[in-house]
Amino acid sequence: MSYEITLMTTMAISVLFALSLNFISGFCGQISLGHAAFLGAGAYTSAMLSKASVPFLLTIPAAAICAALLGAIIGLASLRVRHDFLAITTMGVGFLFVGIIRQQEFFGGEIGIAGIPSSGFGKVGFMLICIGLALTFALFSLYVRRSWMGFVFKSIADNEDVTRVLGIDVSRYKLIAFIIGTGTAGVAGALYAHHFRFVGPDSFGFVESVSVLAMVIVGGIGSVWGVIFAAALLSVLPMLVQFIDDYKLLLYSGLLFAMMRFSPDGIAGLCNRLFSSIPRRVSANNGDKR
Amino acid sequence: MLYLELFIQGLVQGSIYALIALGLTLVYGLLRILHVAHAALFTLGGYIGVIVSNATGSFTLAMIVAMLLVGFAGMLMYKLAYEPLLSQPPYVSLIASIALFIASEEIFRIAFGPYGLSYQTPPLQGHIELFSGFYLKYAEILVMGLSTVLMITLAWLSMRTRTGVAWRATVTDPDMARAFGVKIQNVRYLNFFIGSSFAAAAGVLVALLNNLVEPTMGSVASYKALAIIVLGGLGSIRGTLIAALLLGVLESFGTIYIGHLLDRDAIAFAFLILVLMIRPQGLMGGKL
Amino acid sequence: MTEILHVSDVTVRFGGVCAVENVDLRINKGELIGFIGPNGAGKTTLMRVITGIVQPQQGRVLLEGVDITHKATHLRIRAGLALAQQIVQPLRALSLLDNVVLACGGDKTRHALKSMWITDIKSERKQARELLARVGLSHVADELPGTMPLGYLKRLEVARALALNPKLLLLDEPLAGLSQKEAASLADLIAKLNADGQTILLIEHNLREVMRICPTLYVQDNGKSLAFGKAEEVMSDSNVRNAYLGIGHA
Repeated sequence: MSYEITLMTTMAISVLFALSLNFISGFCGQISLGHAAFLGAGAYTSAMLSKASVPFLLTIPAAAICAALLGAIIGLASLRVRHDFLAITTMGVGFLFVGIIRQQEFFGGEIGIAGIPSSGFGKVGFMLICIGLALTFALFSLYVRRSWMGFVFKSIADNEDVTRVLGIDVSRYKLIAFIIGTGTAGVAGALYAHHFRFVGPDSFGFVESVSVLAMVIVGGIGSVWGVIFAAALLSVLPMLVQFIDDYKLLLYSGLLFAMMRFSPDGIAGLCNRLFSSIPRRVSANNGDKR
Repeated sequence: MLYLELFIQGLVQGSIYALIALGLTLVYGLLRILHVAHAALFTLGGYIGVIVSNATGSFTLAMIVAMLLVGFAGMLMYKLAYEPLLSQPPYVSLIASIALFIASEEIFRIAFGPYGLSYQTPPLQGHIELFSGFYLKYAEILVMGLSTVLMITLAWLSMRTRTGVAWRATVTDPDMARAFGVKIQNVRYLNFFIGSSFAAAAGVLVALLNNLVEPTMGSVASYKALAIIVLGGLGSIRGTLIAALLLGVLESFGTIYIGHLLDRDAIAFAFLILVLMIRPQGLMGGKL
Repeated sequence: MTEILHVSDVTVRFGGVCAVENVDLRINKGELIGFIGPNGAGKTTLMRVITGIVQPQQGRVLLEGVDITHKATHLRIRAGLALAQQIVQPLRALSLLDNVVLACGGDKTRHALKSMWITDIKSERKQARELLARVGLSHVADELPGTMPLGYLKRLEVARALALNPKLLLLDEPLAGLSQKEAASLADLIAKLNADGQTILLIEHNLREVMRICPTLYVQDNGKSLAFGKAEEVMSDSNVRNAYLGIGHA
């Protein structure tokens, strides 16, 4: 039972993390290659507060705020640059985060922070908290997609210039997407810290950022259900197929490449096409899958 | 004369960056693709260089073979990986490229082991003394010399030959070039060939400098090369070269003076972000 | 006559080239003005100054007396400008109807945070259907832009711009790329919109249609204002004829 609980918890945290990126990259079309930095910001904040005897639940909003503040700064910076630049700039932010953390003894330097206290809710309780938060954000995402904000996001992802010409303050919407997405990643970070009870600079590097982006894209960029499915699957895949542990990265990247080559709109896209033989009621708002 | 030492070291490193980044900027200028997997070709070049050198004892042969083989590998990569994705939104080719790159690192690790290979008898290990206490290895002189030669050759080829003009025309206006009978497909192949073979040269040279090739040697180079081409202003060759050399020197000084704040690799990105905030189109980029 | 737009002594330089020089233009409520000039006359540049994509080195743009010269594009749109662009850019993932619905939702999208709490879309959908009907696209309202012919997409641009309830509608070469029949049809629509009270500035190359529907013409050549006034008078002006000689037909 204990193994399954750990698995479920890992899945829930990954789902939350992936959905937070989906908000930025999927809904709003801003491709971020440095999202792990915000996971890290939340994780470190929560870890350090927890070790200073702050109760676990209180570290969660603190982690969110810290990550969101960082996100606001990055978001403001990202407003000045465009698509191709954005991907690399966010990648740079990721490297910068790790680079700075690594050099400061305050954050534990190379070694990181170990011995993070348990959440105090027991394994099952903690798992339920993680699942609860993931579920809440998933519902929130689904709701936003049906709202006018989601409508604007979709438009921005489609064509930023046109959206501007329709009188919409694109910069403000992008900034909000960033703040919500990064703040939520911070929450995921807090959960991460108390799940693995250890945080180090290597946990939040480029590979981590690529992995979460892969989850979003394999799921189907913008599709909440697709991302949930892909995140859940990809997060535990390495654990489930341990005998090919040595080849897991190869398998992973091969799968990702195949996805891009043959179904760039991810699993959601595959499903859409599979079921397109059933006459589809054309939705006047973006309430269903893209 | 610490400063001069740091400066020259910086130029050596910058020359390597320039050779790698050039391929990236060539691809971006032509296809608007961020060719992350380019670094895999860099690593491949390094491996081929060491293997051929150890097998035949000739470094020159190793360099030539590496450049040729990797040039073709680059063309193959275009055909199999990028061409089918040209009609997709840009993030698709970016992710595909990243996936390719990670896969290739793994393949190198599985095929040749995680600890890498070395030259049996590394050439050019001697050095000359420029002035008291400061030694410059022959290998380092080769790096700067060869880079310069390759760059000048490329510049000459692009300005003076018909192929070069056709290539420049295609970058500027593909439809117009097509109307003039330029075979776009061939231009693309050439583009990848040149960029990849330059990366291979860089790989062989880096292997020489460190006397080691290992599977992850491409990763840092690839990310930095990306930062460099953005810094230089995406698509501008001149900008890329300047940014590459500048970065090499900056890192050289930076590790000494701000190494306690940031690790070496983060310096590139800190610089990038700083520049982009002041000048969003990069150092030499045109209007955004 | 209420003055809607005043472009006051605007000059735009790109590097060493003067794209627009000391241009002065006034548009009154209810007018339909044809903005013509040979290639390279600086028409697009002036349009970009009005919409805010380009900043003039000198001069001002006033909308109903309010100086908008340095305002961001989206704020100008909110202030009453609307633009139908030359190169059609429909939002590809949305149906034609949804393209217009988004434009109708101006009040709801004004404040980003507030927009999160609003999901009601019924009145905008109704409005959008009416607008599509007005431009003759009712029968394809639920289609995606990908399969639509250019003529339809041009009308979509117009519908989207109308949805913004503009004081001034800017049309940038709406007839470009259309067949003679399609162009005449779209020109008729533009004339009808004006007859219903919409103030319009129409940049066009298609002189035949412009002459047919525009009572007033403004001519620009080489960045400078050349003529402004009643269509027949302007076209018989020898300066205007010289400007067009040798340039070829529109």
